[in-house]
Amino acid sequence: MTHMLRNALRRRVAEDEDDAGKDRLGTLLMRAGRGDQSAFAELYDALAPLLYGVVMKVVRDPAQSEEVTQDAFIELWRLAPRYDDSRGSVKAWAATLAHRRAIDRVRSEQSGRDRTEREAQKRPIQTNDVAEQVVANIDGTRVRKALERLTEMQRQAVELAYFGGHSYREVALLLNVAEGTIKTRIRDGMIRMRDELGVAT
Amino acid sequence: MSDTDIHQLAAAYALDAVDDRERAAFEAHYHNCPVCRPEVAGFRETLSQVAAISAVPPPASLKTGVMAAIGETRQLSPLLPESVVDLASHRQRRQRLMRTLTAAAALVVIGIGAFVVGRKSGDDDGYAQAAAAVLGRPDTRITTLDGTGLGSFRVAWSPSANRAVVIGDGLPDPGPGKAYELWLVDDAGPHAVRLLDKANDQKVRRVLPVDGSASQWAITVEPEAGVDTATGEIIFSGAA
Repeated sequence: MTHMLRNALRRRVAEDEDDAGKDRLGTLLMRAGRGDQSAFAELYDALAPLLYGVVMKVVRDPAQSEEVTQDAFIELWRLAPRYDDSRGSVKAWAATLAHRRAIDRVRSEQSGRDRTEREAQKRPIQTNDVAEQVVANIDGTRVRKALERLTEMQRQAVELAYFGGHSYREVALLLNVAEGTIKTRIRDGMIRMRDELGVAT
Repeated sequence: MSDTDIHQLAAAYALDAVDDRERAAFEAHYHNCPVCRPEVAGFRETLSQVAAISAVPPPASLKTGVMAAIGETRQLSPLLPESVVDLASHRQRRQRLMRTLTAAAALVVIGIGAFVVGRKSGDDDGYAQAAAAVLGRPDTRITTLDGTGLGSFRVAWSPSANRAVVIGDGLPDPGPGKAYELWLVDDAGPHAVRLLDKANDQKVRRVLPVDGSASQWAITVEPEAGVDTATGEIIFSGAA
């Protein structure tokens, strides 16, 4: 069966590349997908700071962030049997899931207009906030460098969308720029970051 | 929305920076788009690295809450690998997904119960007794297979009894010289279970010996003499 062969080969390649950490998460998720709760507990330990961090960025309120992160982990558990490693790493999958949950929370909570107005006032703080985090985190050096390679306008658009939880239309409104321009900034920014970080496509 | 427009949404989509309507439109598009699918995957990898700069340890209460909750949360069944028999088309996979979303699990149990009670006479006695024996096992798992065409298939499998009850309803005639075939898929690949039933009266009622550790079921239409490797398209599938 080509699919299984492909999976087997892919696993072999991953081992050969000494990609031990990544492989470990894949193995844990596979075990969790068969109902192994202790594997899921290990997976939790490896992923919780990442997921809680990204949810906190978007949701802000610690108590709500805890709730949203818990929902994300439960979703991860439910979906574990369906994880397909050909579609991306465990971390990317989990971060996508948690971010989506965080976005759903902030968007359901208030109308986009309210939030846009409030965020417009605290926008400078938010940008500094991200910059500080980047500097503070030594492991984030590579990411910081990649962020520096973006134009200020690209970086702002990507951060307002990803960490601010705004749609590109809301970002356009916040920055008083045409929607098409924001779409392009987001796209160009993401492509440059991806290439700077050497993410294979 | 034109096609060019939708390709432009990959980055905004990966950032969750689209509205619900755009999200739905893009999701309908990108899984089968050779440009957008790898692009979204690449952006997501990128974002997970960006997200890592904000990583922060959560309060300990979170883990307690998560572990308590998963103990009470049922996991979804895995999707059948796309190329288990290498023949399922994109269209069929989409339809199968639709079926998964609309499957009514509760009906399965009621349906099988009613069936066993309702068939107690004539030629079906042997079947009814054998089926009841399987269904009475504590480890019996009942699966409604997701189908792409007419009719339905349900499989009730007891690993401890090494027996599976296969129930098909509303099935079209498989055609001259053809029969429905059940496949058991495990780590080693698909194995024919020799169901080979022509579904007279549009029905399949069988108790079959099933050994091993099935992880998926699949149904194809094959020559009635039987084959070792599936030649037909997967028309039903589901987790064992």
